[in-house]
Amino acid sequence: MLLNEPRLITGFRHALIRMESFMAGASLLMLLGLIFGQVLARNFFSTGIPHAEILSRYMVLYVAFFGAVLAVESSKHIRIDVVAACMKPENIRRLQPPLYLISSILCGIMTWAAIRFWYDDWQYAAEHERWSSILALITPFGFSLLSLHFLLGAVFSPAKVNSES
Amino acid sequence: MTLLLVGLLILLALLGLPLFVALAGGSLLATYNAGLDPAILAVELNRLASSPHLAAIPLFTFAGVILAAGGAPQRMIQLFNASVGWLPGGMAGVAIASCAFFTAFSGASGVTILALGGLMFPMLLHAGYKERFTLGLLTTSGSLGLLFAPSLAILLYGIVAGVSIDQLFIAGVVPGFLLMLMLGLYALYIGRKANIPRHKFSVAVLAGALREGVWDILLPVGILTGIFGGFVTITEASACTAVYVLLLEGVIHREIHLIKHLPVLLRDTAVLVGSILIILSVAMGLTNLLIDAQVPMKILEWMSLHVDSQLQFLLLLNAFLLIVGCMMDIFSAIVVVAPLILPIAESYGVNSIHLGIIFLANLELGYSTPPVGINLFIASQRFGRPVLSLFRAAIPFLVLMVIWLALITYVPFLSLWWKQ
Repeated sequence: MLLNEPRLITGFRHALIRMESFMAGASLLMLLGLIFGQVLARNFFSTGIPHAEILSRYMVLYVAFFGAVLAVESSKHIRIDVVAACMKPENIRRLQPPLYLISSILCGIMTWAAIRFWYDDWQYAAEHERWSSILALITPFGFSLLSLHFLLGAVFSPAKVNSES
Repeated sequence: MTLLLVGLLILLALLGLPLFVALAGGSLLATYNAGLDPAILAVELNRLASSPHLAAIPLFTFAGVILAAGGAPQRMIQLFNASVGWLPGGMAGVAIASCAFFTAFSGASGVTILALGGLMFPMLLHAGYKERFTLGLLTTSGSLGLLFAPSLAILLYGIVAGVSIDQLFIAGVVPGFLLMLMLGLYALYIGRKANIPRHKFSVAVLAGALREGVWDILLPVGILTGIFGGFVTITEASACTAVYVLLLEGVIHREIHLIKHLPVLLRDTAVLVGSILIILSVAMGLTNLLIDAQVPMKILEWMSLHVDSQLQFLLLLNAFLLIVGCMMDIFSAIVVVAPLILPIAESYGVNSIHLGIIFLANLELGYSTPPVGINLFIASQRFGRPVLSLFRAAIPFLVLMVIWLALITYVPFLSLWWKQ
């Protein structure tokens, strides 16, 4: 059974979604700028943007993770809900909290795995490569955000991100 | 115990657990069973990020989202109507051509039916086509351009299977046009049979539509010239496409307001891309663990006892992929199934590019078949008709598509002519 959401939590979720929407949009624009900038730099100035390749690689991950987090709140994740398609809407609603809770736990475990990988990577990274290790924090951070959103969705309900807001 | 947990994960997925979570659960289980550190799943994720064409997915998707939000659907219909609408069965041909063009950019994510279906439905009825034919045509046309560049499905298949995306783009041309031709001929037959009145060809109308739509038509030409002329890579082509489309809709046609609409378009793109790439990121780990555990080899061993020839294998493959297409959406099917099938298909001498076309063609059919054919659900939502009646309406088109599928499966020349 879903609980009524306190105003504090509602405010927190909306602030979180605004931050995630901003990060997703900014990462996508940066990705576009980097790759298009590379085309211009190579063809018109016979040069390139330093570290553009590594940066664009991480920007894809940023778009993917923040997009995936927003997809939780707008219930747009891909599902193979063959059985659910034959169920009544109220039964599907009843199933949501346990499914979200399981999702939260599994994403939590993925967060832990990603932190361990990141920490190993950080320890052995050369001094001049540390900046890219900082960017790589998106993996544990992304999974932890997914876990948090699923948890909030399990206790309350998804925060309904619509296209107009 | 492992079997029980796998069964539980499958059951939860069928009940509506997001697919990426189910796959993450499977990956964690597989690492635990193999005595490996789950941190290797993050290694796989980093490996995925270094895939050279991965950035093309968000950027081509962004271009598709902008086109859908702008006036491209109307301009396409106008242009195709002025150029082929006067032919017998012309209005249906307009629907086929517009949908194919649009799906190639929108990635067959259902946007085609939403954006074009609503416009074409009253136009086709007004032209005199029966409702059943119209619904069937628009429902199946939602995935028609899947084999044309720069389709998201082709990009994803190329990345997952590790085959050349350029070659997949060329291989998809003839099969894609062949399907359009077959459906067009059927529409012509229906148009003749129902004595649908035709409008007159007008040079002035065509010139006006060309003026409006010429920049859209130049888009695929520019992408293909850029890639195959060696001027840009696929990823760079995707960035150029996104910038071009932004200028087209924001500056030339002024259909979108760059400040007001851009944040929503960026977020919609991120949601679409995120929901696909997160599956890819967790599935890569799982499929690699399955490959390490020799699962495809075990399937191959079993198959070599029962399947003797390439023809038998292709028949079995078609049957299997049609079932997959009925049960899974195209993106998850590519990510999960393609890496397992590839080594088996190669051992039967099936070309990996040809396999890609067969794979995507099967899944294109799955788009309009129950229980999870996404075209049926989106069309049901868009046209307010029950899913089953839409499926019935789509049956003649699906029969044609099965014939088309058989042609492209058993005549590899249609996909590989450029290699001869």
